[in-house]
Amino acid sequence: MSLNDKLKDLRASGIDDAKRAERIQELNDLRVNLLGKKGPITKALRGMKDVPVEERPEIGTLANNVKKDIQAAIEEKMEELNRKLVAKKLEEETIDVTLPAQPRKYGTRHILNQTIEDIEEFFIGLGYRVDAGHEVEEDHYNFERLNIPQNHPARDMQDTFYLTDQLLMRTQTSAQEGRDMESHDFSKGPLKVISPGVVYRRDDDDATHSHQFHQIEGLVVDKNVSMADLKGTLEALCRHVFGADREIRFRPSYFPFTEPSVEVDVSCFNCGGEGCRICKYTGWIEVLGAGLSHPNVLEMSGIDSTVYSGIAFGLGPERFAMLKYGVNDIRDFYLNDVRFLEQFKGVN
Amino acid sequence: MKISVNWLKEYIPVTHTVEEMANKISLTGIESSPVHNAEGLDKLVVGHITSIAPHPDSDHLNITTVDVGEDSDIQIVCGAPNVANDQYVIVALHGAHLPEGKRIKKGKIRGQESNGMICGLDEIGVPTKYVPEAYHNGIYVFPEVVAPGTDALTALGLDDDMVDMDITPNRADTLGMRGAAWEIGATYDEKPEYTAPSIDESKIIDSNDLTVDIENKELVPDFLVRTLKDVTVGESPLWMQRRLWNQNIQPVNNVIDAANYVMIEFGQPIQAYDLDKLEEKHITVRNAKSGEKFSTELNNQDDEENTNTILNKNDLVVAAGDQILGLAGVAGGISARVTNETKNVVLESAVYDGAAVRKAAQRHDLRGDASNRFEKGVDNGAVSDALVRATQLVDENAQASEISDELVGIATEAKPTVIKGKISHINHLMGLDLSAEEIMNIFDRLGFTAELDNDDVTVTIPTRRWDMSIEADLVEEVIRIYGYENLKGTLPTGMETAGGYSPKREFSNKLRNILLGQGMNEVTNFSLMNKKEAEDFNVINTNYTKLLHPMTEDHEYLRTSLIPGLVNNVAYNQARNNNDISVFEQARIFDRADGVDRPKEIEYIAGAISGNIALDSWNTQSKQVDFYDVKGIVEELLSFTNIDANFEYHATNKISNLHPGQTAEIIADGQSIGFIGKLHPDYQKEHSIDETFVFELNVDTLFGMEKRNVQAKTAPKYPSISRDLAILVNKDIESGAIVKDIFDNGGKYLIDVNIFDVYQGVNIKANHKSLGYHLVFQNPEDTLTDDTVEKAFDVVKDSLVQKFNVEIR
Repeated sequence: MSLNDKLKDLRASGIDDAKRAERIQELNDLRVNLLGKKGPITKALRGMKDVPVEERPEIGTLANNVKKDIQAAIEEKMEELNRKLVAKKLEEETIDVTLPAQPRKYGTRHILNQTIEDIEEFFIGLGYRVDAGHEVEEDHYNFERLNIPQNHPARDMQDTFYLTDQLLMRTQTSAQEGRDMESHDFSKGPLKVISPGVVYRRDDDDATHSHQFHQIEGLVVDKNVSMADLKGTLEALCRHVFGADREIRFRPSYFPFTEPSVEVDVSCFNCGGEGCRICKYTGWIEVLGAGLSHPNVLEMSGIDSTVYSGIAFGLGPERFAMLKYGVNDIRDFYLNDVRFLEQFKGVN
Repeated sequence: MKISVNWLKEYIPVTHTVEEMANKISLTGIESSPVHNAEGLDKLVVGHITSIAPHPDSDHLNITTVDVGEDSDIQIVCGAPNVANDQYVIVALHGAHLPEGKRIKKGKIRGQESNGMICGLDEIGVPTKYVPEAYHNGIYVFPEVVAPGTDALTALGLDDDMVDMDITPNRADTLGMRGAAWEIGATYDEKPEYTAPSIDESKIIDSNDLTVDIENKELVPDFLVRTLKDVTVGESPLWMQRRLWNQNIQPVNNVIDAANYVMIEFGQPIQAYDLDKLEEKHITVRNAKSGEKFSTELNNQDDEENTNTILNKNDLVVAAGDQILGLAGVAGGISARVTNETKNVVLESAVYDGAAVRKAAQRHDLRGDASNRFEKGVDNGAVSDALVRATQLVDENAQASEISDELVGIATEAKPTVIKGKISHINHLMGLDLSAEEIMNIFDRLGFTAELDNDDVTVTIPTRRWDMSIEADLVEEVIRIYGYENLKGTLPTGMETAGGYSPKREFSNKLRNILLGQGMNEVTNFSLMNKKEAEDFNVINTNYTKLLHPMTEDHEYLRTSLIPGLVNNVAYNQARNNNDISVFEQARIFDRADGVDRPKEIEYIAGAISGNIALDSWNTQSKQVDFYDVKGIVEELLSFTNIDANFEYHATNKISNLHPGQTAEIIADGQSIGFIGKLHPDYQKEHSIDETFVFELNVDTLFGMEKRNVQAKTAPKYPSISRDLAILVNKDIESGAIVKDIFDNGGKYLIDVNIFDVYQGVNIKANHKSLGYHLVFQNPEDTLTDDTVEKAFDVVKDSLVQKFNVEIR
């Protein structure tokens, strides 16, 4: 058999062996056996000396091609076996992804605080400071400075927990107005502040009343604020909280510390104003009280009411949350059943 | 107050439905709702009884024939004790619907045909307390002839449509029909028209039956009376009765009814007395003597102890000598009450100080229609007119022979308020640009007189609008009549302001986020707690702060700790099988120093964890929370405070209701910043909760502490070397002390010490424990040699042997 044919035979049998290999080890062995220094190709090439000189380059090329082809066949098979191996491993590692997870729990913020913070951040965006104020307050700031003197009929509207004659649990976050106004330096610009916090009333706890609840007071005092500014501000707030399509309306009302005073209704977010159970078929839901700061309130803080004016508003986070999430009983906020709390995960 | 549309029509034209009116009035002035009366009632007519005969088979039933305006009379069997021939009565015909779904059908009563029912007012929906006394046990009898077949509901005014105005305290001017007509008129641009009250001049005499003296002039700006002689007291005409019961007022007699009617018409309460019952013909308005007794119809007459009101010297009374006629502005007394036997009448129209009336009414729990009006104010320009009107009505209905002139105890001139404003400023405050003409037109609609001088406007306010006093009031009137719906919203302009949270609040928010990140749920508890709760965790050892007048014992004390609230949360949840609880709260506690009334409000953050922190699952085993889990949370929280101090955990058995062996006080820079511990088993048992760990930290103190000044260091490039150290030591020696000693002696390259083993028990010497520590050394600037590390390690070991007598293992 000529060297030429020998090499061709080696090629055919080598490729054949590679193709028939079932394990990677066989291929490695094959490579060493066929292509190694002691392998048959190397051995065959020792017969080169018997080949006429002019044929030697041709045989050399052929020998290199045979090596390459066998190498390629081994590599191809190697890849195939590797693929199978990986596929097998993947198959073995397959898990039931529907089995439950290892919990990595993030806690849920109380829904009232989520509601408050959403509103705080809205007003921070409009340049308001957040000032929490005192829960134990002087009668002076809770009433007198809000134009509610002793014997004022408005004191009937809110029964108060007193600690002493002059100290009380604040009944409204408006109690912070006097403190904010008297400490503000108007040469540095307008007073723009919201005051969130806990307030207290002598109420029996039931589905719609709680002796402790939250309020957020808002106040802007500047040379150039008007009822129109109040309406625009509250319009923007209600759209932020209740949806971009909301409208608001003002109805005249009475608070001793604002004049004019208004109640603010928002168009029903449930029915869009068509009338439903939530809005009691009126299309509107009362959400907050507001007004222009009463001149007496400004003057008591040393602010000239002929030059400055103020807009003030007060809203109830409990009411907002009850409306927005359909909470029917205010007591749920204070029972802290974790099943109740956790349903508000990430709402704000 | 409910405004009857039929009555309102006497003053202004009414063309809208009550729904439309209520909506418009709500948007313009006063929150209102529509009221439809007698809805669902029908086939109720006026009947005339034409014959009556006893039922043959009953001792209390009668057989009547009744003309109901049809071709023939119908027979009705009636059991009312007061039924009689020739009465005009309410008849429910066959098929009639009565309240509460009741239906009338013809049938036989003990064998006698009955084709309907003769009704009492209560049977057609008038609450018994507003039904005239005479008709309480029986049928209602019309006081006058009414054509048979007339719709009874219309005849009785029970189908009147109404607008119920829910006034704010400043708008008491609408607590009378006339004031309400002004308000509604302004809304619809209709000026009301009134007939001025008048008295039959021929009956007026200059009387000296009575003298009047006002002792407390400060509280009584106006006090006017008139007397009427030889009146015939009896039932009021139907038109007046129906207006009264529609206002939830019981018709009594034609004198008292006239007084009540004028209160509704003018908003001015009127009192009536029987002149002959006055023990002295001299009326005084004075302060009561302490202990004086007074009896009024407003007292609950069924309650023996309550029939007399005991007065005190703050009470203002109307008296005739020692005889108390009434508690001024609050309630008329029984002693000089007008009855059917009364011949001579005194009518009083007065103004009393609102605050005094309010307090008296509260003090004696006697709030009523009169006190409600005096509290909020009455029109002192109408006191005299109202008295004329009451006199006129009594005279018309009870025919007096003589009427006295007005007797003036005291009178204060009613001056209209004059308000000066500027058109430009009014517009400025509204954010509008209305013309002076538009604004003047609004004043005119309201019945205000206004004069314009360039930008200055001078508005004269009638006395009926005593709520108006300043320019801001003018702003409100203009904008509400102009219509808030026409106001376009804008945002405040002006100098830029930097909004945001306070640094303290930013700090609080950061702490809260750490606990949320640890999977803890946030709760919100009450600040007011019971005495025991206030005492349970008074760790700060504060004086208690107590409400003067708590509503319940449960909410009497200001909280001294957040822990009791959290324990309640754990208990509430575990009682509902929410067994694994991890909650925290961030709120204020109240710390009151000796000798001061006002407590400091200090923000705390506190948590409670109970049950498992890992659950049994298909691939994990459950793990119950222990001290070190909670300590891990607290450490992470404290590390985020960025405070430049070491936090030390000092074992303490001093906090009551915590486990004496599993509690640590947390100290930073020598000051206590809080604690962490397990609840005492007794306390857990008391609250029926599982093992629970709690912590509480003073946020204000943490906020006030100095923070680390962070300067970046490059991450170390050279490898670290570690050594393990196992020691045997007396079990009472705390690991904290050992770690501190290791650091003290480990040299500058010791960067970390971790404990990897704590063992006590089998194979360990009695009263000893085995501890294993992993020490890490690193030189940030060079590669450490084993030699250097070994030297440092030896120093550490030597020190431990010396100080703690440890055995190196």
